[in-house]
Amino acid sequence: MKKYVLKRVLTSIFTLLAIVLVLFILMQLMPGSPFNDEKLSDDQRAVLYAKYGLDQPIVVQFGHYVVNMLKGDFGVSYNISKNTPISQLIQTRLPISINIGFFAVALGTLVGLILGLIAALKRDTFLDSLCTIISVIGVSVPSYVFALALSFTFGFKWRIFPMLYNSADALNSSVMPSVALSMFTMATIARFTRSEMIEVLGSEYMLFAESKGLSNHALIFKHALRNALIPIITVLAPLVVDLMTGSLVVEKIFAIPGVGSLLVNAIQSNDYNVVIALSFIYSALYIFIMLVVDILYGVIDPRIRLGKESN
Amino acid sequence: MADMADFVLKEKKSDFNIDSNYASQSFWKEVRHRFFHKRSAVIGLIFIILIVVFAIIGPGMNDFDYASQELSQKNFAPRVPGLEGWSLFDGGETISTTTGSKTINQYEEKGLTDLYYWFGSDMYGRDIWTRCWSGARVSLIIAIAAALIDMIIGMSYGLISGFFGGAVDMVMQRILEIWNGIPRLVIVTLLLLILKPGMITIIFALMLTEWVGMSRISRAEMLKLKEQEFVLASRTLGAGSFFIIFKEVLPNIIGPIITQVMFSIPTAIFTEAFLSFVGLGIPVPQCSLGSLISDGYDCFTTHPYQIVPPIIIMALLMLSFNLLGDGLREAFDPKMKEM
Repeated sequence: MKKYVLKRVLTSIFTLLAIVLVLFILMQLMPGSPFNDEKLSDDQRAVLYAKYGLDQPIVVQFGHYVVNMLKGDFGVSYNISKNTPISQLIQTRLPISINIGFFAVALGTLVGLILGLIAALKRDTFLDSLCTIISVIGVSVPSYVFALALSFTFGFKWRIFPMLYNSADALNSSVMPSVALSMFTMATIARFTRSEMIEVLGSEYMLFAESKGLSNHALIFKHALRNALIPIITVLAPLVVDLMTGSLVVEKIFAIPGVGSLLVNAIQSNDYNVVIALSFIYSALYIFIMLVVDILYGVIDPRIRLGKESN
Repeated sequence: MADMADFVLKEKKSDFNIDSNYASQSFWKEVRHRFFHKRSAVIGLIFIILIVVFAIIGPGMNDFDYASQELSQKNFAPRVPGLEGWSLFDGGETISTTTGSKTINQYEEKGLTDLYYWFGSDMYGRDIWTRCWSGARVSLIIAIAAALIDMIIGMSYGLISGFFGGAVDMVMQRILEIWNGIPRLVIVTLLLLILKPGMITIIFALMLTEWVGMSRISRAEMLKLKEQEFVLASRTLGAGSFFIIFKEVLPNIIGPIITQVMFSIPTAIFTEAFLSFVGLGIPVPQCSLGSLISDGYDCFTTHPYQIVPPIIIMALLMLSFNLLGDGLREAFDPKMKEM
């Protein structure tokens, strides 16, 4: 187990370093400069380059960069809000995004589990088909379409929830974005729960448990669902990542001041440092989630660990 | 209570499957049989064929083209000949203002009663019908090209890694792990910033990110098959590694690979739409489903009819490819689990 964890942690660290390198190289290749202003003379530009360390050799810049990243210092923003440290920009925005993301995952998992459970227990009935249809639609329709539909109906037509994010009313403003983001999670979890539950329900230990005379309640929740839950953890990791992508667009639609909209702005205004910093944070989050899920999965189900080591 | 038995027979009808004995059939015949027995998969296939047909002939079905603007005819509501009696397609739209709502019909107001924009016209007076289908064409081309290139790269990578095993596999898998650790979103956005936006760039970006899943599947299949007798037999007959990988093993794993391609097409469509929405998509005046949705979004509260057609086409397309993929997966490997 220790060996497995160590191996996963090492891979993660390497991945993160590779990402920093890739980000750095890509940024060097980017067209345009943050100092595109034609009014600047070459001398002024040179002064600016010197100020931000852009005149030094690439290797030195990279070295500085890695050290700064590790310290959590992402430099300052060039364009979006001049000379504001990026860590400060992110600090106010990250909690908003994480909140909405968390609500979305929680909501999606809960509803998905319930739907999948109903579908599996009422297999081959109308309810099952209904749950399957809902989950197929949830997988197929992008989250921003749901966002637009919600925004049009609940926001624009009926005015139940605010169409645009309002930080004074954060709770109500988070409802529609969270619901829109949760659809994909919900659908995937529902599909997965259904197939896992059907498999578990057909297993011999369930028959045994039933012949012992256990109540339906105990059967489903203590025996079946618990075992079905294990594999569901694995799908959660990629789902969280899809959520990150979805959040960019959903944040744009609802004008949420989160990291997603910051990234979009930074991309459009060539703000190198912000793009690098956010890509780094996204990657770090992603790698961290993958690591936690892999280790968690190894802890819960020893077969996985062995399987991976033997490969 | 005497007539009650100690044991109650458990009725689980769905578990009692009668073994069906078929005459031995060829693999493809059996696959076809199973595929066409799954209703959802066939429905998916029909929708895909319909959308592809319309993407080919749709833009030529009326006199408009996707780029020409007619600024005097902007934001016309949908109007279809023969369906004018139906309020959805009569060319009128209800606009709600602060003083209340009123219904206007721009065709009648401007005296253009011979004019028909089947899906309406957009904010520059371009025909949405034409733009939708040329957008669908662009999205489909991008998705299919990306999926096929992914298939070639991912398949080769996975097959080679699985076949040679040992140090080669170890190095290749570590590279893959690191590559997979980088969020796709980050790769795609950064790439599109460096390269000129356009169809080729988007295909390239999708190609770089989507092959990982494919390579996993082909590696796993290769590990399953490479110990089997037919590989050994081929080797004994003097076949080289290349021959075994691509001529012996590949034809045997074509099923999972085709299934994976079907699933990577909706992912590609989705990613393209997402990029367009963020502003990194196809440059104007060309359009894709994503850029049409993005355009429609700008005025979707006042003219909702502009955003509905591309959304419906995209949702149908993604739904159909998912259904088709599910159907193919079951057809190729009926024992496999659903997810």
